Amino acid sequence: MSISELLTEYGDKYVQALFTTWQLTAVSFLLALLIGIVITVMRISPVLPLRMAADFYVQIFRNIPGAALLILLVYALPYLNVVLSYYMCVLIATTLIPSAFCSEYLIAGMNTIGPGQIEAARSLGMTFLQIIRNVILPQAVRSSVLPMTNLLVATMLTTALASQVPLNPRDLTGIVSYINTHAVGGVTAFVISAALYAGTAVLIGQLGSLLDRKVRILR
Amino acid sequence: MKQTQNESHTAVIELRHVDKFFGSLHVLKDISLSVQKGEVLVIIGPSGSGKSTLCRTINRLEGIDAGEIIIDGVPMPEEGKELANLRAQIGMVFQSFNLFSHRTILDNVCLAPMDVLKVPRKEAREKALSLLERVGVQDQAHKVPAQLSGGQQQRVAIARALAMNPKAILFDEPTSALDPEMIGEVLDVMTELAREGMTMVIVTHEMNFAKNVADRVIFMDAGSILEEGKPEDFFAAPKTQRARDFLGKL
Amino acid sequence: MMREENKRGSRTTSIIDVLYEAPGPKARRKIRAATIVSMAVLLCLLVLIILQFYKNGQLDPRYWSIFLRKTTWTFLGEGLLGTVKAALGASLVSFGIAMLLMLWRISSRKILRGISVTLIEFTRGIPTLLFIYFFFLLAPQFGLKLPAYWKITLPVAISACGVVAEVLRSGVQSVPRGQWEAAMSLGMRWGSMFFKVIFPQAFRYVIPALISEIVIVLKDTTFAYVVNYADMMQNARVLISNYDALLSVHLVVAVIYILINYVLNKISVAAADGRNGKGKR
Repeated sequence: MSISELLTEYGDKYVQALFTTWQLTAVSFLLALLIGIVITVMRISPVLPLRMAADFYVQIFRNIPGAALLILLVYALPYLNVVLSYYMCVLIATTLIPSAFCSEYLIAGMNTIGPGQIEAARSLGMTFLQIIRNVILPQAVRSSVLPMTNLLVATMLTTALASQVPLNPRDLTGIVSYINTHAVGGVTAFVISAALYAGTAVLIGQLGSLLDRKVRILR
Repeated sequence: MKQTQNESHTAVIELRHVDKFFGSLHVLKDISLSVQKGEVLVIIGPSGSGKSTLCRTINRLEGIDAGEIIIDGVPMPEEGKELANLRAQIGMVFQSFNLFSHRTILDNVCLAPMDVLKVPRKEAREKALSLLERVGVQDQAHKVPAQLSGGQQQRVAIARALAMNPKAILFDEPTSALDPEMIGEVLDVMTELAREGMTMVIVTHEMNFAKNVADRVIFMDAGSILEEGKPEDFFAAPKTQRARDFLGKL
Repeated sequence: MMREENKRGSRTTSIIDVLYEAPGPKARRKIRAATIVSMAVLLCLLVLIILQFYKNGQLDPRYWSIFLRKTTWTFLGEGLLGTVKAALGASLVSFGIAMLLMLWRISSRKILRGISVTLIEFTRGIPTLLFIYFFFLLAPQFGLKLPAYWKITLPVAISACGVVAEVLRSGVQSVPRGQWEAAMSLGMRWGSMFFKVIFPQAFRYVIPALISEIVIVLKDTTFAYVVNYADMMQNARVLISNYDALLSVHLVVAVIYILINYVLNKISVAAADGRNGKGKR
């Protein structure tokens, strides 16, 4: 099948698929960021049970394979009387896994700040909240741009899990298997999806390093 | 809360029977000392003698296990806003400068006056610029710390401490991380400050500086103050064997 | 799927150690209260989860007693062996391709560098599943009949090779310039210079990152069910259809994966610490 034939027949579906992947990526990423921040605050809190629970959370979702998590959500949860839509299952999986990595990156970002700066801020009479606001947050955010860019790309790659459940509209991976089971789409279908993924990743990467160059902190 | 300011409290900094442990290690042993207004106190001693720790307990960057620390008649609170308020009155200059790496030189100096003392921006900037001029780095005001040499960074750190109008400034080995050719420029600024009557507590290995600038020298070893006296007396005729050994090795 | 970086290098105090001051009596009281409250909340959560299991009959011994049988573990073990074989194969193939990509990437020829950069970006930006579908659905259309093992191993390897290539390159770049110069001054040819002097040092440097990459490869092999390759996940499915114990089996299998990856990550961190410690002395 040539590109033009493929696009006439499946063009709309491709647009939908690209949109599905982008949307899933964006929503998952934002949720992962939110959860990642909360988990990180718990991990650096002086309250031991919170620290332990948050560390446990990170170890679980950093180390669980996406497929294993998705299967638990789709097939195992109903046995506990928790039935979620396929979309919800995918969204949860593609949020929880990146959220654990998000927390790891945030901790790494914080660790780039010299501990002496905290002592200096303290010696100037800043309270804990003033130190967080003036010294820690601005530096942690600015040194997290590249890791967060990588996280966004990684989140997009994770959303391919959506192809493992029946979703309508399909995502960029799901559509390749769909076309290939309905027609002999051949390599073209694969190449289009691959190019859209890789293109998105390169775009994110470029924007990320552009932003990073603007805000990077000289050390 | 505030203690009455009677005659016995003319000291800006006073330590009474301070003890500190790191685990089972007794790093400060029953330390008592006081620093009068305008006095320059230099603390010397071999590494591991507890001199840095002593310096850091004064504004409670290190907690203490027993004893009392009194700043200008007010006992040092253990935590919270009260502790922060008292710290704001005591400046500190660190071995590794510890400038805020994401802020410009000017912002480094303005930040705390604006955020802690609520000084209006314009006023804080003007004061900061004049302080930067005083320490000789006014040309670098809009650079970030990483663009400055160590000596310049340390002078900015001094300006940052001065911007809070402190009652005293603590110097924790301010020249130990500097290349030899930069030590002089920092010591010059400190000498100037001493002349102007700033109350200073200085932990240092620069014996010539101690001889020339100190009003009083304290020699510490193994967590105790072994000797205390005028620099001319101490350096000419140390009373203890430990001090003689220490000075002999230099 | 997620990229892991080894940033925990130095043993000096980190910012998290100095974030809080030694707590005073008020702070201690607050922390104690927060500890008790959070402990209570977490315990409640745990009880609720266990209750949910109980209410839905999932604590029934018949779901869990299968893990007392040797056959269950033999079968899962066989699956795990399949997983390990696939992960090892994919890692080795990936390393081979990555080596080539890295050599092109640092070559003096512009075309080779261009090809390498394109391939690296391409493989880094495409999900493993898409490569799996390529080998599963498309390759047969060209008459390429691969065994199931290669249908999972090759796409996982290709998916990882871009990152591995960049890891290797960072290793080569970490070798001081003087090592090249010293080797050159001895009159070594490029090949022996690179493979006898530079690369061994580079490789030692990137071992932690390579171990982290194995975790990603191992996770990606869980898609083996797509191509009907008998890995641990696939064998779990067979167990489930035999014993009708879906939840317990999937849960146990997930825990096994988590534990393996946890240990691998720990090894990676230990290797990085060892490397940095050695560098300092």
